[in-house]
Amino acid sequence: MTDRVPLSPRAVVPSLGDVLHAQGIPPGAFVKDKVRALAEASLDAFLSQAQPRCITAEVSCDEFGEIFRGDGRNDDEAPLAAIYPQADRLVLFALTMGHEVSRTIAGLMENNDFAFGSMLDSVASLAVENSIALLEDRVAGTPVGDRAANGNHRTLNYSPGYCGWHISAQVKLFHRLDPGQLGITLNDSCLMTPLKSATGVLVRGERAIHDFDIGFRFCRHCRDKTCLERRGSRSPAKPTAT
Amino acid sequence: MEILEEISRQLQLGDDERVHELTRQAIDQGIDPATILNDGLVCGMNVVGEAFRTHEIFLPDVLMAAKAMYAGMDQLKPLFVKGEIPTRGTIIIGTVQGDLHDLGKNLVGIMLKGVGYDVIDLGKDVAPEAFVEAAVRENASIIGMSALLTTTMPAMKKVVDLLRGQNLQGRIRTIVGGAPITKAFAEQIGADAYAFDAAKSVERVKALLGA
Repeated sequence: MTDRVPLSPRAVVPSLGDVLHAQGIPPGAFVKDKVRALAEASLDAFLSQAQPRCITAEVSCDEFGEIFRGDGRNDDEAPLAAIYPQADRLVLFALTMGHEVSRTIAGLMENNDFAFGSMLDSVASLAVENSIALLEDRVAGTPVGDRAANGNHRTLNYSPGYCGWHISAQVKLFHRLDPGQLGITLNDSCLMTPLKSATGVLVRGERAIHDFDIGFRFCRHCRDKTCLERRGSRSPAKPTAT
Repeated sequence: MEILEEISRQLQLGDDERVHELTRQAIDQGIDPATILNDGLVCGMNVVGEAFRTHEIFLPDVLMAAKAMYAGMDQLKPLFVKGEIPTRGTIIIGTVQGDLHDLGKNLVGIMLKGVGYDVIDLGKDVAPEAFVEAAVRENASIIGMSALLTTTMPAMKKVVDLLRGQNLQGRIRTIVGGAPITKAFAEQIGADAYAFDAAKSVERVKALLGA
C-alpha cells in the first residue's frame, strides 16, 4: 500500500536567495545583473519543466528493519540502526522532479552553457530538499514549516548511501515502494534516474532519538556536517539528491 | 597585442559572443593560433581562476567565462595540427563507481580545460579498472576522482591500489575530491592530493605536474 503525495513545482521551488547561495554567492554579496537574470531564468525553467511526484508508505519497525539491512552491506555501526527502533512512525518515501529537468540540465552542460546548467541543477536540488522538508512536516503532523509546534518530537529523513546505510538497500526499498510508477528507475549500482530524485525513510520520534555522536568511521572523513544542522532548531533537509 | 588583451578581458566578463568574434578577428589578422590561445584565452581564464580562488567572483562568473573560453577554442581548434589543441598534460576524471553525482566533477573538468589541460571525462559510475585503463591508454599524468556518497568513497582506494599493484603510482598521480572527502581521507588511502573544490583542483594539478 502506497500513498501519492501531491506536490507542485510552485510548492517546492526555492527562493532566488537560496539558489544564489547554493551557487556559492554569500548573502549580501553584490550580484551582477547577468547572474541574477540567469538565476531567474533557471527558476522559470524549473517551474515550466518540473513534474514533482512523490509516493510514501508507512512501514512497521520490523518491515523497515528488513529494508534497512538490505543485502547486509551497512556499516557495523550505522546511526540509523539505533534510531529507527525508537521511532513512533516510519514512512518510506520516493520522489522525483521528473525527467525533463534532468534532461535540460544535461543538454545545457553538453552545449557549454555551464552557468545556466549549474544554476538549474541547484534549483532542482533545492527543490528536492524542499520536497523532503514538506514530507517531514506532513509526517510530523505539524503545520508546514512550524517545527516549534512539534514539541519534543522531530521527524527527519535518512537515505541509503549516507551515514553508513549502504546504497544497496535501495533494492528492497524499491521493491516495497515501486517508484517505477513515478518514472524512477534504479541501475546496477543502485543509483536513480532521473538524477533529481530522492528516496529514504522519514523517522518520527522524540527529538533525542536522532542524537548521535559524530564519531562513526565514516564521520571521521566527512566534511558535510549537515547532520548536525538538521538536528538543530530549524533543520534543512539533508542533501539526499544533487 | 591589443586584441589578445581584449579577448582576455571579454572572457573574464563572460561574453562568449564577443570572444568568438574577437578570436575570429585575431585569426584573420594572422596571429599564431597558439599565441591567441595562450595570451588571450588561457591568460583570461587564469585571471578568472585566481579571482574565484580569492572569492572576488563566484561560480556563475567562472562558468560564463568557461563558455566564452570554449567559444574561442572552437574557432582555434581546426587550425591546430590534427585539430588538437596543444595541452599542458592529460588528466582523466570521473565520478567513482556507485555514484552518479557529477556536477562537481564537471566543474573540475571545465576549469582544468580552461587553463590548458587535456581532460578526458569518463563520466559517472566509473569502475576502478576503467580509470586505470584510460590513464594508461591516454598516457595521462593524473586521475581525478569525485564522490558524493560516503558509501562510494572506498572506490577511490581501489584505484590507488590498482595503480600501486601495476607499479604505476608515481607515473600516474591521483587527486580526490567531493563533499564527504577530506585531506585526511586522501592521505589515508594514499592519494597524491586532495582538492576541496574545482579551483583547488587546478592548483593541485599544477603543483603535481610542476607547471
